[in-house]
Amino acid sequence: MKILALDSSALIASVALCEDGKLLSEYTLNNKNTHSETLLPMIESMLSHFSMTLSDIDLFAASAGPGSFTGVRIGAATLKGLAFGSEKPCVEVSTLEALACNLLGFEGLICPVMNARRSQVYTALFRSDGKTLTRLMDDSAMAISELDELLSKYEERVMLCGDGYDITVQAFNKTEIKYTPERLRHQSAFSVACVALELYGKGEHKSDTAFKVNYLRPSQAERELMNKNKETNED
Amino acid sequence: MTFPERRASLSPAETESLGEALAREIIDNGLPRFVALFGDLGVGKTAFVRGFTRAIAPDARVKSPTFALVNEYKGKTCSVFHFDMYRIEDEDELYSIGFYDYADRGGICITEWSENIEYALPESYIRVELIKDNESDTDSRAVLFDMIGA
Repeated sequence: MKILALDSSALIASVALCEDGKLLSEYTLNNKNTHSETLLPMIESMLSHFSMTLSDIDLFAASAGPGSFTGVRIGAATLKGLAFGSEKPCVEVSTLEALACNLLGFEGLICPVMNARRSQVYTALFRSDGKTLTRLMDDSAMAISELDELLSKYEERVMLCGDGYDITVQAFNKTEIKYTPERLRHQSAFSVACVALELYGKGEHKSDTAFKVNYLRPSQAERELMNKNKETNED
Repeated sequence: MTFPERRASLSPAETESLGEALAREIIDNGLPRFVALFGDLGVGKTAFVRGFTRAIAPDARVKSPTFALVNEYKGKTCSVFHFDMYRIEDEDELYSIGFYDYADRGGICITEWSENIEYALPESYIRVELIKDNESDTDSRAVLFDMIGA
């Protein structure tokens, strides 16, 4: 089964092509360019090296958040377009779970952290036995100090990854941290594909219209709708 | 220009010139690429942005982004992201206009009604406050420049 996966939930844009869990290609850009201008040319270029077209893809996967508002939307819109056009299923992957998957080979606590600004991070917590991840905490947004407090209670060293790595390492003073090499810290579309393959195996794939993003915050449009509904209910 | 600095403007055209001068300072001297404007309705914030943008994207038509919340003016070397925070009520709203994503794109951000987002201003930025300083001369303004955190 061929999977095309993408992640544009933060500064990095990453696309990957996999077959039966093996990586064929991964293409990652960290150049501050707008994802809306780079993702599709990246996918096109990657497929062309294998003389493939979109119709060869069996499953599409994308990071569905949390992350940068614009980045998550661009990723989701791109994925929906690809899946709709080729009438293939898609899988929503938590950005944080995909990040944790970067560190799957290590045993112990794995804590992805993404910069949510103002000394906050999007985070989750997993335990890895070296082969599988077990989730210990839902995707959440919290102050770095609160995360420090929470992790220190485990009384073991924690591996961090994500674009919040530096700010978190700097701000922690209770939790003991295990060093993570730079090359494992960032969003990787191959990790998205690995999580997607597992979810697909559990039957958690869906149509493009059912693909949902998760900002961990209500978007403006949703908030306006909620306010409107509230007003209507009060009438 | 040194910081803090107080300048006077006697007309919208002079306010535009002050904006243009600040943009040149930012580009030439590597100052923080975030300008937070403070000041009441009709004090000349959009005029300031018009002049500011002229130095970076001379062909752009600058208008107050009251409804769009943000306008993007593409220049030759970088873009100007012009925000109006008048209707922004909390951080979730700020997030959902993509505010934090613009700074990452390497352009210059300039925000009107920065009073509404003081909690979200970056570590270093240039603060510009426009004040009506003369009741008998309705066009007279004091323009206070300061550099914060740099």
